[in-house]
Amino acid sequence: MSIRLSGVDYVHPNGQTALQGIDLTLNPGEQVAIIGPSGAGKTTLLRLLATSLLPSSGELRLLDLQPARLGSGDLRRLRSRIGLIHQSPPLPPRQRVVTAVLAGRLGQWSLARALVSLCYPLDIPGARQELARLDLGDRLFDRCDQLSGGQQQRVGIARTLYQRPDLLLADEPVSAMDPVLADHTLSLLGEVARERQLPLVASLHAVDLALKHFPRILGLRAGRILFDKSAGEVSEQDLTALYANESLTARQSEPANPAIARPVRCL
Amino acid sequence: MKRTLLNALTLTLLCAAVAASFIWLQLDFSSLVTADGREQMARYVAAFFPPNTSPAWLAKLWQGALETLAISAIGTLLAALFGAALSLLAAGRMGTLARSFCRLLLNALRSVPELVWAALMVLAAGLGPFAGTLALALHTTGVLGRLFAEALENTPTAPATALREAGAGRIVAFLYGTLPGVLPQWLSYTLYRWENNIRMAAVLGFVGAGGLGQMLHVTLSLFQQSKASSVIIAMLAMVLLVDALSGWLRARLG
Repeated sequence: MSIRLSGVDYVHPNGQTALQGIDLTLNPGEQVAIIGPSGAGKTTLLRLLATSLLPSSGELRLLDLQPARLGSGDLRRLRSRIGLIHQSPPLPPRQRVVTAVLAGRLGQWSLARALVSLCYPLDIPGARQELARLDLGDRLFDRCDQLSGGQQQRVGIARTLYQRPDLLLADEPVSAMDPVLADHTLSLLGEVARERQLPLVASLHAVDLALKHFPRILGLRAGRILFDKSAGEVSEQDLTALYANESLTARQSEPANPAIARPVRCL
Repeated sequence: MKRTLLNALTLTLLCAAVAASFIWLQLDFSSLVTADGREQMARYVAAFFPPNTSPAWLAKLWQGALETLAISAIGTLLAALFGAALSLLAAGRMGTLARSFCRLLLNALRSVPELVWAALMVLAAGLGPFAGTLALALHTTGVLGRLFAEALENTPTAPATALREAGAGRIVAFLYGTLPGVLPQWLSYTLYRWENNIRMAAVLGFVGAGGLGQMLHVTLSLFQQSKASSVIIAMLAMVLLVDALSGWLRARLG
């Protein structure tokens, strides 16, 4: 079992409940897309899987380990086996692309190797190979701030692929790409996950992309799993229920009602 | 109406203060423009020309200039190293206690001017360039430490956090995630302080801390104006040169 969540809740430090009673099991090589409206808890769920957050209650097992019970050394080793692709890749603007990609394996490198590689990139062919798959092989020695948003997103993906993780996570990995590129990139991620027998969890805004590229779909709404089905079984009703926006539809049908026009408190 | 009255009162007070200052300090500007005064000034100024360009003196000047250059460069380099180390603490990377202590230390170092540090260091380390270097290093550590810490605090933390979450250690995450963001700023601040310090190093000699300043102090005290004037020219040339060099480097960094 690569991922197992049972009865996981997550409450933000400000008291807001982000996730409630999440049960999820993923086997090696299994690929899941998380879809759902904004604020449903997709990013929080991915951050739990990346161990940057710990569940408030319930059990979370990743690669047969429980991050909540690990000491700092073991947690670091576990983290070096988990690769998270960020929505807006956190690349230092003035860093060269090659260094940014090689940084993916810092969790596995010794301090001495990391220091030498900072001055002179040690594994240029390795970085070039990952970038070439994403069609960026010629941008190896450019600075990250010379790239477009979509290109930076692909550098972030190259870094995570270079990391060679045992668990692949992606938070809106193609949000800054055009449709053709997004399609191509998701195929590539699926391919890599199949090749290396990795479990892949990705959150996506575009439902059509999720249904096309992922065999299993998880619908998340208001911190709960609304459905967990294979892509073929997801019906129109499922999607309508998932994305139904009560406050927007109510306002459309009864625009004159002053009770509904009252501002909603967000905090 | 009330406002006009208030303004008039302020103006009167200011004028009174200025007049009182003149009386208190017994400034006698009239003596400047008497025939005798003018003649003395002209004689004094004329003694500066022509500057002394004898080979022996030029050789000493060259040595003095190198000494001043070395004092400012090493002082600034030491300050950049210590400032970088202290700025990590002052930016709160090792807890709030270390943060408050370091801020206090940096403020203390910074609030004592270079000349005062130099006077103290001459007492501690004896006359000569070592005292000047220490004085510059101490004051500049305070300045750079503070500036470095602010640059650190204003740098996005996301890159380093992402690396930590991929299993990287603290040091490596700092080097790969944070340093690329702050290093250009740190270098730029350091070069700017070096420009300031080369001017300061030229002055520090007046309290016996070596370099061109000390030569200027000695020649002026011995009324060797023509030698003093070549020292001043050498100082000017060196400061202009370093300003140009540092400006060019900073433009390349930006």
